[in-house]
Amino acid sequence: MGKFVIRRLAQAVLVVIAATLLLFIGLFVLGDPFASTGDKTVPPETQAILREAFGMDKSLPMQYLTYLGNLFTGDLGVDFNQRRAVSEMIGTALPATARLALVAIVLDVLIGVVAGIIAAVFRYSFWDVLVTVLTTLAIGIPTFVIGVWLRQTVSGWWIFPGVPRSFTQVVPWWQEVLLPAITLAVVDAAFIARLMRGSMLEVLRTDYIRTARAKGLGERTVILKHAFRNSIIPVVTYVGISIGILLGGALITETLFQYNGVGFLLVKSINQNNNPVIMALVTFAVLIYVFLSMIVDILYAFLDPRIRLS
Amino acid sequence: MTTPPDPADLSAPAQAVLVESASDHPGPLLDEAPSGKKKNRSQLADIWRRFKRNKLAMTGLVVVAIMVVLALLQPIITPFDPYDQNLLNSLQPPNADHWFGTDVLGRDLYSGMLYGLQLALIVGLCTMLGSMTIGVALGALSGYRGGFWDALVMRVTDLFLAFPYLIGAILVVRTFGSGVPQIILALVILGWPTAARLMRGQILSLRESEYVEAARSIGASDTRIVARHILPNAIQPVFIYSFTGIGVAIVAMASLAYLGVGVPPDTPEWGRMINQGIEQVQVAGKDFLWIFPSAAICITTLAFAFVADGLRDALDPKLR
Repeated sequence: MGKFVIRRLAQAVLVVIAATLLLFIGLFVLGDPFASTGDKTVPPETQAILREAFGMDKSLPMQYLTYLGNLFTGDLGVDFNQRRAVSEMIGTALPATARLALVAIVLDVLIGVVAGIIAAVFRYSFWDVLVTVLTTLAIGIPTFVIGVWLRQTVSGWWIFPGVPRSFTQVVPWWQEVLLPAITLAVVDAAFIARLMRGSMLEVLRTDYIRTARAKGLGERTVILKHAFRNSIIPVVTYVGISIGILLGGALITETLFQYNGVGFLLVKSINQNNNPVIMALVTFAVLIYVFLSMIVDILYAFLDPRIRLS
Repeated sequence: MTTPPDPADLSAPAQAVLVESASDHPGPLLDEAPSGKKKNRSQLADIWRRFKRNKLAMTGLVVVAIMVVLALLQPIITPFDPYDQNLLNSLQPPNADHWFGTDVLGRDLYSGMLYGLQLALIVGLCTMLGSMTIGVALGALSGYRGGFWDALVMRVTDLFLAFPYLIGAILVVRTFGSGVPQIILALVILGWPTAARLMRGQILSLRESEYVEAARSIGASDTRIVARHILPNAIQPVFIYSFTGIGVAIVAMASLAYLGVGVPPDTPEWGRMINQGIEQVQVAGKDFLWIFPSAAICITTLAFAFVADGLRDALDPKLR
C-alpha cells in the first residue's frame, strides 16, 4: 500500500509540473503579452521596461524555474494591470467561490438524495417516472442554458438580486449566491438522484434488508436507517469530486451572474491578457483536480487490493 | 465463443459477438450469412431494429435529421446574408420579414440562427471524428504495443486530463488565435485522451483473447491483427463516447463564444448571440434576442443526447 501511495504521489507531482510547463509555454513562449498591444501604442523602450519589471527579460528556462520556486513560497507575482499581488486577488475571490460551491453542494445533495430515495422506494410509480424525466432533462440541458434562463427570468425578482447591478447596490452574500448555486446544483442534483436511486434499489434487494424487515422493523426504519447508510456511499464519492471541480472555478455560471469568484476572475484575466493571474488560477485548478483524482485512486486501492497489486 | 480458424474469414470475431447478442432478439440467424457484405448489412439491421424501439432516441434522430437538412440547405433557405448589416432596421421584433427578429446591427436573426446551426454541426462532427481518430490510433498503439509507447501515451493523457475541460479549451484557443478551426483543435486536444484510454482498456482485454492468439499463431502481422481482428470488437465504447462528445462540443463552443473566446466577434454563433442579447442590449422586451439561440442550443444537445443514449442501448444490449 505504501509503495502504491508513493508511486501515485510521484505521478501527481510530475503531472502538475508538466502542466505548469505547458501553461508557461502557452502563455509566455508562444505569445508576448506586451507585444500584443502593438508597436504603435507601446514604444519598444517601454515594452523593455515592462518586461524587466515583470522579470521577463531573463532567459525562458530561468523564468520558468523562478516561477516554480516562487510557487512554493506562495509568491504568485503581481498582475499586469494594477500591479496588485496575485495571491491577494485570489485570496478575495476564493472565499466567494467556496461559499458558492458549498451552497450548491448542500442544495444538490438535499434535492438529489431525497428524489433518489423516493424514486427507488416507490419504483415505477408516478414519482419515479417524474424523477426519471426531470433528471433526463436536467442532465441534457446544458448548465449554460439553464443559467441564461434563470438570469433572464428570475433575477431581480423577490429575494434574487438583479443581474447586472450597479456598484452602489449592496447585496447580502446569501442572496448573491442563490441563483448561481441553483444553476450549478441542477445538473449535480440530477446525477445524485440517479446514483442514489440505483444504489438504493441494489441495497433494497440484499439479504440484510430482508432480515431487517423480517424482524418486524417499520419500513421507515428499514429505509432511513439500514438501507440509507449503505446506498449513500457512491453519492459521497461523487460529491467529493464535485466540490473539487467547483472550487477550481465555475467559469460560465460565475460570469453569467457576475459573481466575483475564481471563475469570473479567470475570465476577466483572460480577456485582459493578464498572464500572471491566468497562470496562478489555472495552476490552482489543475492542483485541485490532480489532488482529488489521486485521493480517489488511493481510496479505491485501499478498498480493492487488486488495484494496488497490478 | 467460436474461434475462427480461417484467416480469410476476417469479420468472424465480430460475428461471434453478434450471434451472442442476437440470440436474445428475434432476428435472422447470422452464422449462416455467406459473404462479408451481407453479414455487415444484417449487423446494421440488427442495431437499427433495437434503435427503432426506443421512442426517445427516434425523436432525437428525427430532430437531428431535420437539423442536418436545414444546415445543408442554409445558403438556399436563408432570405438574408447573416453578415449583412442594416442599421436602420436594428432590434426589430420577430415579424413577417424577419422571422426571429434582427439584432443590434440589424442582421437577420433567422439567417444567423441557421448559420449558427451549420457552424455547431460542423464543429460537433469534426470534434467527434478528430478525437475518435486520434484516440483510437494512440489507444491501440498504447494498448497493443505496451511498454514504452504505453507509458508515453498514458502520461500524455494524464497531462491533458489534468486541465478542466473549459479552462483547457480557452487556453488552447487563446494560444492559437480565434477561429473555427482553432476551436475544433482545442476540443479535439481535450477530447482524445478519454477516447484513447477507453480504446486502450478494450485492447488490453481483447489482446489476450483466444481468437487473437489464434490469429497471431498463424502469422498475421500486428497491423492486421489490430485493424481487422481487434478494432471491430473494441471500437464500440469509443464510438459511443465520441458521439456523446458532439453535444458537449456544441455547448463548449457556445460557452467559449459567450465568454468572448473562440469565434471572431462578428460570427453569427449561438453563444455570441446570447452574449449580445443579454450583455450588450438591456432593453425590456427584447427577449427574442436570447430566447431563440438558447432554445436552439437546448434542443440540439437534447436531441444528440437522446440519439447517443439510444445508440448505446442498440450497440450493446448487454449494458441494459
